[in-house]
Amino acid sequence: MPTAIRLRGLHKRFGETVAVADLDLDIEAGEFFSMLGPSGSGKTTVLRAIAGFEQPTSGTVELFGKDVTSLPPFERPVNTVFQDYALFPHMSVIANVEYGLRVAGTPRNARRARAEEALAAVQLAGLEDRQPHELSGGQRQRVALARAIVLRPDALLLDEPLGALDLKLREQMQVELKQLQRSLGITFVFVTHDQDEALTLSDRVAVFDAGRVVQLGTPREVYDRPANSFVASFVGSSTLLEPPVAKAFGLADHLMAVRPERVSLGAPDGVPGTIAEVIYTGPEHRIVIDLDGLDTRITALEPNIGANAERTRGDRVTVSIDPADATSLEATASS
Amino acid sequence: MQLGPVTRAVLGVVTTVTLALIYLPLFVVLLNSFSTSESLSWPPPGFTLEWWGRALHSTGALEALGTSVVVALAASTVALVLGTLAAMALSRYEFFGKEAVNLLIVLPIALPGIVTGIALNNAFRTMMGVQLSIWTLIIAHATFCIVTVYNNAFARLSASGTRLEDASMDLGAGLFTTFRLVTFPRLKSALVAGGLLAFALSFDEIIVTTFTAGNGVTTLPLWILQNMFRPSQAPVVAVIAVILVVVSVVPIAIAQRLTAKDAATVSR
Repeated sequence: MPTAIRLRGLHKRFGETVAVADLDLDIEAGEFFSMLGPSGSGKTTVLRAIAGFEQPTSGTVELFGKDVTSLPPFERPVNTVFQDYALFPHMSVIANVEYGLRVAGTPRNARRARAEEALAAVQLAGLEDRQPHELSGGQRQRVALARAIVLRPDALLLDEPLGALDLKLREQMQVELKQLQRSLGITFVFVTHDQDEALTLSDRVAVFDAGRVVQLGTPREVYDRPANSFVASFVGSSTLLEPPVAKAFGLADHLMAVRPERVSLGAPDGVPGTIAEVIYTGPEHRIVIDLDGLDTRITALEPNIGANAERTRGDRVTVSIDPADATSLEATASS
Repeated sequence: MQLGPVTRAVLGVVTTVTLALIYLPLFVVLLNSFSTSESLSWPPPGFTLEWWGRALHSTGALEALGTSVVVALAASTVALVLGTLAAMALSRYEFFGKEAVNLLIVLPIALPGIVTGIALNNAFRTMMGVQLSIWTLIIAHATFCIVTVYNNAFARLSASGTRLEDASMDLGAGLFTTFRLVTFPRLKSALVAGGLLAFALSFDEIIVTTFTAGNGVTTLPLWILQNMFRPSQAPVVAVIAVILVVVSVVPIAIAQRLTAKDAATVSR
């Protein structure tokens, strides 16, 4: 697959703060690529550098083999869906969607047809003449999407587009975004701080921390094999096991991480402990166990069925971890 | 906050007296324009429309009114163009000396008119060797008219941020197209408000005008000053004063309503 977006040595400083540090990144054509990280980790700055809103301090941005580092946003073949939608409040829905075609000089009839097509693609047909302030948050989100895809960009940049929506709507929009990306077949670059969203939607995820990509891989790789303790705790939840604890579980003698759903209870040869908390979450419960003599706590996630449902605070249990389910953090523990 | 009856009474009286002190004299001017007494004796012995008729046929007064309108319109236009450009530059770009430029643009409204007047008079005549005329007057007025346009435009641009402009450029619009289709429509009411205030400022200005108007260029305030102490002109002056008040106050009232109404929509 050809490379859609290639960043080389991308560096951005704001005064004394380094927002992005010497970043190299290749995003393939047609993939759903997520940049995941906490706020201030540099992911939005990278997106803005690709769109052309931020001039990098050094480094280059290539789009489909062409160096666009010094080109303004209006000369780059990408479009953006902004976090707060940034709809033009003085224009109707259809005028918003037609905007890009209008400034490109597309004849009135043609642009009207294409705008209506784009609105239909985001299931907003019939709302052409509404004003943005008459729409719900979810509808504005869709207008912003339609406005960006109507230009048939080579890549679509999405800056936390679902951040302002409530949970139900967000889940629904996730499905629609994925379908839209598949049907358009264009590259999506998706910025989010929501790990669920990144894992659900992406072909590949780049996890950002302090201006650097700390891990790059498929959602499964990032989730199952976190590269360091930051990824282990930011993407999903993990219990970090200090060397003595890891050893007690029969694992290696260095820092390890394990996902709560991979921790099993009740095996006869397990490490003994006492249940300190049972947190009920509906389909499953989260059990926090004080391990005997290790001065540490471990969390297990169990489906809420059968004998599991009976567990209570103070119960004695044994805890075990399959070595294949624990991730070694030795190599990166110092970084 | 609950006020006691005595406090309320005292504050009520102070407010009434203060407002009366400001507005009664204005009201007397209005009454005098209808008074039958040429010397403005008090109380007016009777009422007549004679002075209004005479004022409307006084070539001097009408010409002064025309001059004032032309000067105010021209100065406001210059201010609109320059003030908008300055506001765009200072709200959208970072550059060396930005704070200093901001201060220098706003300063003329705070400078004593007499200093501005003398300085401009000196600069026009001795340094540039230019004859004072209606043009020098327009330039002089534009120096302080820019401030109201700039302040209004700058406040609006700062409040609305750059997100819509980013969106516009992302969709392929260049700088000028973005200004025309996105920035300007959002800025329009602020510019109308700023322009109206500039018009009102210029229309009743007299100090700077005294020093920068050419021979024979008489604005309405200058005409009033020249005719105030002439025998038998007093009631006509009162008529012109009433007109001056109306022409100055109405734009300010409209500008205020525009600004208030927009504050509500801009944040949306």
